[in-house]
Amino acid sequence: MRTSFPRNLALAAALTVLAALTGAWPLLATSAGAAPATAVDPAAIAALDRMGAYLQTLKAFQLDVATEREDVLDSGLKVQFAEATNLVVRRPDRLLASVSSDRKERHFLYNGKQFTLWAPRVNFYATVEAPPTIGELIDALQEKFGIELPLVDIFLWSSDAGSGAGITEAVDIGPGQVGGADCEQYAYRGEGLDWQIWIQHGEYPLPRKLVITTTTDEARPQFQAVYTWNLAPAFADADFTFDPPAGAHRIVLAQTKPEAGASEKEK
Amino acid sequence: MNRTTGVSIALTIALLASTAPAFAGKPARASSKTSVNRNTNANTNRNTNANVNRNANVNRNTNVNRNTNVNVNRNTNVNVHHDIDIDVDHHDYHPVAAAMVTAAVIGAILYEPPPAYTVVVVNGVSYYQSGTTWYQPQFSGTTTTYVVVSAPR
Repeated sequence: MRTSFPRNLALAAALTVLAALTGAWPLLATSAGAAPATAVDPAAIAALDRMGAYLQTLKAFQLDVATEREDVLDSGLKVQFAEATNLVVRRPDRLLASVSSDRKERHFLYNGKQFTLWAPRVNFYATVEAPPTIGELIDALQEKFGIELPLVDIFLWSSDAGSGAGITEAVDIGPGQVGGADCEQYAYRGEGLDWQIWIQHGEYPLPRKLVITTTTDEARPQFQAVYTWNLAPAFADADFTFDPPAGAHRIVLAQTKPEAGASEKEK
Repeated sequence: MNRTTGVSIALTIALLASTAPAFAGKPARASSKTSVNRNTNANTNRNTNANVNRNANVNRNTNVNRNTNVNVNRNTNVNVHHDIDIDVDHHDYHPVAAAMVTAAVIGAILYEPPPAYTVVVVNGVSYYQSGTTWYQPQFSGTTTTYVVVSAPR
C-alpha cells in the first residue's frame, strides 16, 4: 500500500499532463498550420540584415574558426569530424584559407588573378585563372569545379541579398555568450535545414557561432562553427600567391560539367 | 615459438588488408550542410551534383579516349557507390591499402593511388604511371582522386 499510493499518484499526475497535452495538441497544430507567416519574427530577419550589412563594411579581417561537422554512414551511424579553419581576407580580391582536420589539410589561395588549391600532405596543387573579385570567385569555383570556399556564408551575408529569403521560421531565442562576448541567439528554419546563429551585441554585430542542422536525413547531421575575429589582421601581399614547395606536384581540378561542345566534336 | 609469431603476423597482415580498404571506401549517405546561404546549391551538390560530377568525369574521359582512339569502355561506373566518401588523403593513411585494380578501365575514378607507381610530368601536370596504366591525380571538389586515363603522350 505504501508503495502503491505514490505510484498511483504519479500515474494520475502523468495522465493529467497527458490529457492536457493531448488537449493542447490540436490547438498547437492548427495555429502552426494556419498561420505560417507569423512564425517569422521580422526582428530576427532584421538582425541578419544588420549583421550582413556590417560584414560587408569590413575591408580586411582574419578569422579563426573551430568547426565540427557530421557525416551519416549508410547504416545510419553518425560520425563527427573536427576542423580548424583560418581565413585571411582583403576585399575585394585577396583571400587565404587553410582548413586542417585529422584527415586532410587544404589551402585556398587567391590573389585576384589566380586561384590555387593545395593539399600539403600529398603535396598536390592545382592553379587556375580566377575572376577579379571574391564574390565572382565563389560562384566560379562552385559552378566549374564544385568547390565551396570555407566559411562561404561570411561573404554571402549582406543586406542586399535578402536575408529572409527561404526562411519559414525565425525566432529570437534570447541572449547568450560565445567566447566571452555577449550575443543574441536566433533560430531559423529553411528548406532542408534548421539553423542558429549567435550575433554579437552592440556596434559590431559579428556572427560568433553558427549551428546548422540538416533535416533532409533522419539522422539530422549537424555542423557547428565558432568564430574568433581579428579585424586588424597583418599580412603581406605575397601571402596570397602560391609558391610551390619542393616536391609539389601540379594536378588539375576536375570540372563539374563536360566542356562545351564536347559532344559535337565527337561526331 | 617461431611458428606462433609467424601466424600472428600473418593474421595481422590479413586483418590490415581487410580493414584498410573497407574503411577507405566507407560511404556516407549524408553530410551536414555547411552553408545557410548556399542551401539549395549545397543540397543539389550533395544529392545530384555528386552524380553530375561523375558524369562530367566520364564525359571528359571520353574525350581522352577519343583523342587516342581507345573508345571501348562503356561501363565506367566503377565507383558509383563511392559518391560521397569520407574524405581522406589516402596517401598518408592507407599505406597497406590493397587497391585491387585488376582491369583499369579508362575513366574509372579511384580514391587512393595505385600501390606502386612512378610520377611522370607531362606538360607541367603530374601523372602516375603503374605498369601500362596511367592515372591522373585530380581534385574532385576538394577531394583528391585518381582517374584512369590513356597514356598522356
